[in-house]
Amino acid sequence: MAIVFITCLLSWANPGVYITSTGTIDFRSDARLELIKAISKELKGAIDVDKKTFAFKVRMRSFQGFNSPLQREHFNENYMESEVYPEASFAGKIIEDVDFNTPGKTTIRAKGILSIHGIEQERIIKSEIEIKQGSIFVKSNFTVLLSDHKILIPKVVSEKLANEIKVEVVAELLPKQ
Amino acid sequence: MMVIFKNLLLFLFYFTSVSVLAQDVDLSKMLDDEAQKGDKDKTEKVYATFKSTRLISGHSVENTYKGVLDLKISHRFGAVNKGLYEFFGLDNASMRWGFDYGITDRLTVGFGRSTFQKQYDAFFKYKLLWQSYGKHNIPVSVNIVSTAMIQTLKWDNPDRKNYFSSRLFYAHQLLIGRKFSEGTSLQLMPTMIHYNLVKKATDPNNIFALGVGGRQKITKRISINAEYYYQLPGHKFSDSKNSLSIGFDIETGGHVFQLHFTNSTGMTERTFISETSGSWEKGDILFGFNISRVFTIKKSKAK
Repeated sequence: MAIVFITCLLSWANPGVYITSTGTIDFRSDARLELIKAISKELKGAIDVDKKTFAFKVRMRSFQGFNSPLQREHFNENYMESEVYPEASFAGKIIEDVDFNTPGKTTIRAKGILSIHGIEQERIIKSEIEIKQGSIFVKSNFTVLLSDHKILIPKVVSEKLANEIKVEVVAELLPKQ
Repeated sequence: MMVIFKNLLLFLFYFTSVSVLAQDVDLSKMLDDEAQKGDKDKTEKVYATFKSTRLISGHSVENTYKGVLDLKISHRFGAVNKGLYEFFGLDNASMRWGFDYGITDRLTVGFGRSTFQKQYDAFFKYKLLWQSYGKHNIPVSVNIVSTAMIQTLKWDNPDRKNYFSSRLFYAHQLLIGRKFSEGTSLQLMPTMIHYNLVKKATDPNNIFALGVGGRQKITKRISINAEYYYQLPGHKFSDSKNSLSIGFDIETGGHVFQLHFTNSTGMTERTFISETSGSWEKGDILFGFNISRVFTIKKSKAK
């Protein structure tokens, strides 16, 4: 009974959900003839520290950068089909037991469904998290294979677009008010 | 006493677990709700209404992006009804080459040279309204295009007093376009064309026309386009026909290929809107193409 009481108290003391809507996510395609980079500073994320669940989302149209405005247009129109699949998302559960009450750095594995271009893939993505006073800092590097998400590379650009896209996510989540 | 305390605890426990459950409903739904709150203050512009800055022969509501140079090479062959002797028109070609450059995302300037009447043309195109949704809802994109054309043929009659101004033509267009869905876009093009000098005393100096056009995508990279200019009766040359063109846009990375069938040989406003002589009914249809290749001259920084 005492344990129940303490858990109740803890869950009251520690706000359960941390969120952000200004995380950054960038990707790079390093092909033989062309390097393409783009970044979005509108990554939305939430972590429920009680349930150890998380969800991250980004609007494809919020990506900026690219080597030309036309390339950005083609990214949205021909590759990501942003009108049909406006968002990419990753949501699931943290595998490790993380003590969100103790400040410090740790590496965790996040297991969930990565949805890009409307194609869902179950992925386990390693991520560094740093628990600070009143915030959670998340940093993660991972790769996405275009072929995993049915994003076709036309032959004419096969030397300019890599199948393996490197993605980096950096976000600081604050308690939800 | 102990019992009451236990019951109280159980009640508390029940209450908190309910609230935890409620919180857990869906993190991703919560993000959507948060996003919706933020999106109310945002305006999202509509891009890629058409694949090219030209619908077929005339302008579309697309502008060349800032710092981008667009090299355009266009050909119109002879009428296909000329038969095998002219190889269905392919023996004759009329050509225009030119450059468009984006000074800003809304302002494009361009220059071109046509073989027909050794004509130069220059234009500016400004986007007055940009179709958007969100905080500012704008249902259509509106562009204004003004073109000046100079034909540089030798004078027919060099002995009489010839004025340079006689070589000049002007065209002013308003383009009103809307992307209805990912694949479907339509536009209206009210047009006025001014001739400083006309052939006959009965010819009007100002031609008025209303254009309609649109595209329908059939795959991600291919669309069917159509363009029709209706000249208002009484404000046209008596022998000119309305221009009708149907074609395909095929996009491959930095290139757009436009292949079309049309009854107009001209590739500038005054030559195809007001001086089309061929008629579709008689089979005066000719094949043509535009090739567009873009070069990024000035790279814009990521915002």
